[in-house]
Amino acid sequence: MCGIAGVMYKGKSIDAEVGEALISMLDGCQHRGPDSTGFALYHACEPGGLRLRFFVGNNGQADVSISRIQDILGEFQAELLKEERVGSTYSIKIRFSGDIQKLAYAMESAAKLVSIGESLDIIKDLGGAHDVDDVYAIKNFTGSHGIGHVRLATESDVAPEASHPFWATGFADVAIVHNGQITNYWKMRRRLEKRGFEFRTDNDSELIAVYLADKLSQNIALKDALRSSIDDLDGTFSFLVSTKDEIGYAKDRLAAKPMVKFESDDLIAIASEEVSLNRLFPGHALNTSEPSPGTFDTWQRST
Amino acid sequence: MATFDLANISVREANELIRTAGAAGEDVEILNPDAKHHIGVGLTQDINVRIRGSAGYFCAGLTDNAHFEVDNNVGWGLADNMLGGSVVVRGNASAIAGEANRGAEIIVHGNVGSRAGQVMKSGTLLCGGNANFMAGYIMYGGRIIILGDSGEQVGQNMTGGEIFVGGSITSLGTDAELTDLAEAELDEIRELLDRYSVSFNGKFQKITNAGKQLRYSREEPRIRSIPFFEASGDVDYWNTKVQEDIHVKAQIGRYRIRGYGTSRPLPHFSDIAFRKNISEMPADQNVLDRVNLQTEIGGRTGAKPLTLSMPVMIAPMSYGALSKSAKLALATASRLSGISENTGEGGMMDEQRAAADQLIYQCLSGRLGWSIHDMQRADALEIYISQGAKPGLGGQLMANKITEEIARIRGIPAGIDLRSPSRHPDVLGADDLVIKIEEFREATGYRVPVSVKLGAGRVRDDIKIACKDGFDYVSLDGLQGSTGAAGNEVLEFVGIPTLAAIQEAVDALEEIGLPGELPIVLMGGIKTGVDAVKALALGASAVAVGTSALIAGGCISCLQCHVGQCVVGIATQNPEHEKRYDIPAEALNIHHYLESFRWQIAAITEGLGYDDVHKVSREDLVALTPEAARITGLSYVPADRNANRNLQSEVS
Repeated sequence: MCGIAGVMYKGKSIDAEVGEALISMLDGCQHRGPDSTGFALYHACEPGGLRLRFFVGNNGQADVSISRIQDILGEFQAELLKEERVGSTYSIKIRFSGDIQKLAYAMESAAKLVSIGESLDIIKDLGGAHDVDDVYAIKNFTGSHGIGHVRLATESDVAPEASHPFWATGFADVAIVHNGQITNYWKMRRRLEKRGFEFRTDNDSELIAVYLADKLSQNIALKDALRSSIDDLDGTFSFLVSTKDEIGYAKDRLAAKPMVKFESDDLIAIASEEVSLNRLFPGHALNTSEPSPGTFDTWQRST
Repeated sequence: MATFDLANISVREANELIRTAGAAGEDVEILNPDAKHHIGVGLTQDINVRIRGSAGYFCAGLTDNAHFEVDNNVGWGLADNMLGGSVVVRGNASAIAGEANRGAEIIVHGNVGSRAGQVMKSGTLLCGGNANFMAGYIMYGGRIIILGDSGEQVGQNMTGGEIFVGGSITSLGTDAELTDLAEAELDEIRELLDRYSVSFNGKFQKITNAGKQLRYSREEPRIRSIPFFEASGDVDYWNTKVQEDIHVKAQIGRYRIRGYGTSRPLPHFSDIAFRKNISEMPADQNVLDRVNLQTEIGGRTGAKPLTLSMPVMIAPMSYGALSKSAKLALATASRLSGISENTGEGGMMDEQRAAADQLIYQCLSGRLGWSIHDMQRADALEIYISQGAKPGLGGQLMANKITEEIARIRGIPAGIDLRSPSRHPDVLGADDLVIKIEEFREATGYRVPVSVKLGAGRVRDDIKIACKDGFDYVSLDGLQGSTGAAGNEVLEFVGIPTLAAIQEAVDALEEIGLPGELPIVLMGGIKTGVDAVKALALGASAVAVGTSALIAGGCISCLQCHVGQCVVGIATQNPEHEKRYDIPAEALNIHHYLESFRWQIAAITEGLGYDDVHKVSREDLVALTPEAARITGLSYVPADRNANRNLQSEVS
């Protein structure tokens, strides 16, 4: 149960104030989810480089986790380029050319991996958008696009790792934020598990991420993956997905969860409520539209 | 004209100022609305409110008489439950525009989102653009005019009213059909369009209810050998009751409906006892002076709490399921005993308001008899999500209980088998619920508590959500809770027992680090003051009694509440039967029964060594059965059984 927001700036420049925009939008719908807030941000791509962020906590266990992470980097012959500890997370940049899924699964057994990607960085923690910004300096982030989420925990724990956005465990650079409930979760999860994918939470939103990433890895276009998701996923959902170059949405056929979008020459912004979109343009009446039930769309970053 | 700028003040402050302006008859202009929620909620004066931009959820919701104009878009629930007046929206409206409309003219120049006009009863909803999924869903009356396309499943499960579509009809909903259009109706539409300067040159098609699902197709045979509990048969399997049930189903081809709750033996308060041997407790009358029973509930967020003379309430039961006479006896008894009465579904009666000192006003999914004026004269508001007898399902009221008066109060067609929706139009998740609660608070100036009624299913999750969403208290109803009508199998098998429910609720609050933060009013099979003390010791703040209060007031437990021919005049709307009900006498009987609670609660509390009932705790309890021990986590001490037996004989 949540609020979602996403933004993509259309210009060629990749230094739009995405962090600032997402903070405003999520603060605007914080009433939908006071428990935790999260951001999926996309940095400029550095070929051969890979970003990983882990939850390591703030106690003595953190050092143990970090040394395990470094051991695994060694085993996989990955070169550590940069490391940083902030909040309850440990973030690294590495040079790595092997199998990302294998590395990711190995890392998952060492520490709670939040995200992995050439470009993707997921930052999520307890509290509101400004609380998370205070710790992780989200507002300094510039780029072309990102998505975010405010969460009101209903069935699973209030914990940073149960927060959104969810990455697709084992796949680089795919993140999703979701409002709703997938009712055929276990059926779909078993289907994906039979094909060798691992799940790290019991959160239905993780399923959406893995489902989409699986399609993308088969060279299916994001738009087509979203189209099939509406048929394959059952329940109530409005979700946003982002990759290195695209963002997209899908909405269930029952129209049970809200979603509003605003598009101009400069940007596309999507949120649960118009009040979030209006945060980007205070005092302006926006020409918004509401995606119809059972629809989807994607937007490509200019390059 | 008064101008308020939402860039500088909150919606809450603005709404107070709008109401003040309304009282002075002054028009209002709102600047920088920026799609904020609840603008204008609760306004009941005939003034004009101009909103210069987009408004958020529930714009003009819970209002009467006022005239709103919005320059741009609006969010979910435009003009929710508006009784009269008008709203003009220049842009688009999001989902459930005009939900539960009861007489207003709602004009949206752009498109409307899904489920426009859900459960509307009267008035007009005009959409200048296209409508979306399920416009007119479960509408009971009024008219929806869509100049563009209808969207999928238009008129789904409508039982009354008309839908006019100027564009194409994407698809018709269940039990909706195309019907002929009279010239007079077209004239009325043209008059409306002219009045709001909307141009339209196309042709209309008209959709109404097809009348195929308004009543159960086959009536249940009346069987005199009631009740038909499976558990009341002579042997466990294939007993005469089971056979009877199968025979009836063989005739009607569906589930059977009955009143009352489950008949199965379930772990209950009789399976736990007090740890201390209180058989020697003093039994003098003055115990009432020595023990505090006063209970305040609902002040958690600053509202004026309910003040009960003892931790007991009357459980919610509707006028409709029960006769007016029975409801008035309950209201009177509640006043005599210094506790609260609850309207249940179906609206508030003037006589009931006058008879009860403290009246809780319950809001259900169908918004039947819901009104801003009654909200503002209630002592607490309660959002019904579900009830113990039938968690997850809507209420049922059979046609022979829907008199002209009840149909009028509820705003529905007379003569239908009313099946209330199982979900609220505007609460499809905990996130929507937050915004709904806020709407109620805005409508009543944050003065009265807002509670949630929950049937015991996934109590652990539900209680956490209720606490986070900011309710002032929870009415928690276990599997043993009764109802006026529900499917037999649902009554028997859906939900968890009351004992398990209170334990899960208490555990849930512990788990999120907020023990005792959210008061819980427990109901579902509470029979005595002994049960009440045990419930309080387990962590409830109060209990509520429904079935037992009805029995005290003359109910003979025949389980035929749904039929509408209650011989004692309680569960009937037949004036001949209702005549038999002696309101003052039964009010006194219910009052006396409630007073038995008072004495038992006080005597046991003192016997346990306390001067205040709110000091009892689970340390005072033991489990008498392994099952009860497993459910509650209380220790299982067989030796304590004797003590309990003595206590039962002492207090009864």
